[in-house]
Amino acid sequence: MTNLEIISKDLLNQPERKKRRIPWMAVWFLAPSIFSFLLFKYVPLFYAFFMSLFEYRIVNPPGTFVGFQNYASLLTSSYFWECFGNVLVFFLLYLGMTFWIPIMIALFINTIRRGNKLLRILYLIPSAIPVVSCLVLWKWMYNPGYGVFNYYLAKIGLGPFQWLNDPLFAKVAVVAPSMFGLAAGFSMGMNMLIYYSALQSIPEEILEAAKIDGAGPWQRIFRIILPNIRFIIGMQFIIFVSSVFLMFDPMFVMTQGGPVNSTRVLSLLIYNKAFGYEMDYGMAGAISCVMFLMIAVVTYIQLHFSRKGNQG
Amino acid sequence: MFERKTWFLVGMMILLIGTSGVWGASKIELTSWDIGTNDGVIKPVYEALWAEFEKANPDIVIKHVDNPSTNYQQVFTTGMAGGSGPDITTATSYPMMPGFVKQGFCLDLTSMWRKYSDRNQFLPSSLAAGTINGKIYGVPHDMYVMGLMYNKDRFKEAGIDPVNPPKNWAEFATAAQKLTNRAKQQYGYALLGMDWGDWFFEYYVWQAGGDLTKKNADGSCTLQFTSKSTIAALQYYKDLKWKYNCVQDNVLQGFDENRTDFVQGRAAMSLAATDWFSWLVGAGIDLNKIGFTQIPAGPSGKSPSQTGGSYWIINPTISKEKQVAAFKFITFMSSKQALERVLKYQADNGIMPNLLCVRQDVDLSKYLKGVSADLVGGVQKAAEKTRLEYFLKGPLSPYVAKMMQKVLTDKNADPKAAALEAQVAAQKEVVNHYNASLKK
Repeated sequence: MTNLEIISKDLLNQPERKKRRIPWMAVWFLAPSIFSFLLFKYVPLFYAFFMSLFEYRIVNPPGTFVGFQNYASLLTSSYFWECFGNVLVFFLLYLGMTFWIPIMIALFINTIRRGNKLLRILYLIPSAIPVVSCLVLWKWMYNPGYGVFNYYLAKIGLGPFQWLNDPLFAKVAVVAPSMFGLAAGFSMGMNMLIYYSALQSIPEEILEAAKIDGAGPWQRIFRIILPNIRFIIGMQFIIFVSSVFLMFDPMFVMTQGGPVNSTRVLSLLIYNKAFGYEMDYGMAGAISCVMFLMIAVVTYIQLHFSRKGNQG
Repeated sequence: MFERKTWFLVGMMILLIGTSGVWGASKIELTSWDIGTNDGVIKPVYEALWAEFEKANPDIVIKHVDNPSTNYQQVFTTGMAGGSGPDITTATSYPMMPGFVKQGFCLDLTSMWRKYSDRNQFLPSSLAAGTINGKIYGVPHDMYVMGLMYNKDRFKEAGIDPVNPPKNWAEFATAAQKLTNRAKQQYGYALLGMDWGDWFFEYYVWQAGGDLTKKNADGSCTLQFTSKSTIAALQYYKDLKWKYNCVQDNVLQGFDENRTDFVQGRAAMSLAATDWFSWLVGAGIDLNKIGFTQIPAGPSGKSPSQTGGSYWIINPTISKEKQVAAFKFITFMSSKQALERVLKYQADNGIMPNLLCVRQDVDLSKYLKGVSADLVGGVQKAAEKTRLEYFLKGPLSPYVAKMMQKVLTDKNADPKAAALEAQVAAQKEVVNHYNASLKK
């Protein structure tokens, strides 16, 4: 018996494999989103990397090949590290001043029976207001000369404060509107609803049992409620981190990066490099890629730890 | 028989379509972004000129699109990147030209310009920013000169003679102090401290006798941020804010907010361009109550003014035939007759014209009957000594703005230290690269 005959016999003796069916319905539903993701997310991402390797020219693309020179110039420049430092400070400020607020509101609403629906609607309404118009209003309110804040503070003998003009205070002033539900990049009202829904999924019996066992409100929050919604908090945190890294609107509208570059962040730097008089698209591409890497690393670390936490 | 008839009809139709194609191809179609979205009041005269041009040139059809009034550079660049940019555009300002030429947005017009019979009628200063490495990339479209604009009523209220506005830094600071009344939310001078505040700051360096940069004979750049004149200008800015306390509280407020403050009477003085008057009239200002003069002189005793403006440019990616047609249209719109038609229309309809024209053979005085003589005199005085903005402004602007903002926002900031810090960073990150690129 030849080898070929042996193989054929073996194959014939094998039980018939089930034919794999392509789920066409799922393919049709997914196709538009996959296509748009590829077209509007991945193509620009790879193209930004491609651009970053050139002294990019729009009319005769791609221009002169410079390799990683844009990255070398960027990483040895003062403006990049200054903007990166600003992003980190903004991250800490947003974390300290805004991230926990929707969790608190959701916890608060979750304990209220009467007027619960009304409160949820009231918290959600600001999400429908355009962020830019809110920021312009805040900018006016901050005006040291005729802004409403200094006007009322003067009545109680305080100020005048320079708000957005003060390099030390400008960052806090930029973050402050987000504390009141007027966040850019992430909506306070929507986040509150997400946490509220997560809280609703915690079985009432567990909380009742904890109460009977003598657990106080703080213990119930820290030992039962928060651990039960930690996956949602983790996911929200990932979105929060990338939102802060990509934050553009508040700085663009309120300060344009000033005073003395104290609110210039990396996304604003990309805009300045590409659409300022320099028109340095290669450098703008390089900053975009560096930002992508930063967000990817932070997201990976966060996912890694949240997975470990869930397993533990 | 029927078949023959059918074939005959098909043949005739092909012939007709083919012939119409040939006729269609004989027309040159161009897209021109040539009038601002805010220029609606003078559109009728432009429409008449466009119709006249097309009548005289039946082989050229031009589609006119409003120039974006805000974010022009972003809109234009996006259009060019997507292949939908205009064939002709007018809003390319002087500082944009180096970047636009580097990106390949501007056709080299040198050969066409040399053959253009009217070329010597244009003010030499209007061509300077559009001429890069000896090549001409833009035809002057409009021009302005900067000067000091002031509110005569506020001057009178403060006991300052509006006929004798401040002539030097000391007089200016004293006047600005007198014009400041915080209780009434009024201040003396609308200082431009925002991100592109280097636009106005450079004048103070000039008034102190220097410049922010120096263009060397080989085309390289030398920074002069730590020169005596720059330090003097920084110190003066610092004094206006902290010593004399005569500027707006929000020194970093936007350019438009400064202009609004002037219109609403909060600011008594502001630097202004000669092409702002029509905007002021539109905002309800009586020009008889406005004064305009040279920017006060600094320690050097000089007060040169800055000229700026915009150029007509042609898209270099269009066919040669279209390029020639585009240049024909531009020269028609830049002709003495066309410019005078626009001025006459403005005079007849009470629209304040730009008090400076890119052509020397246009007699502006014929169209300024309703305008006060001292305003015209002030503009002429401001235009006596002019210069272009500092060399390599584009990439250096953020560094200048930073040192300027430092002294404006920190009472204890040392102008010398701020200037040195900016110079070190700009030398390393901009000038070294720029100078090295010239040797390649």
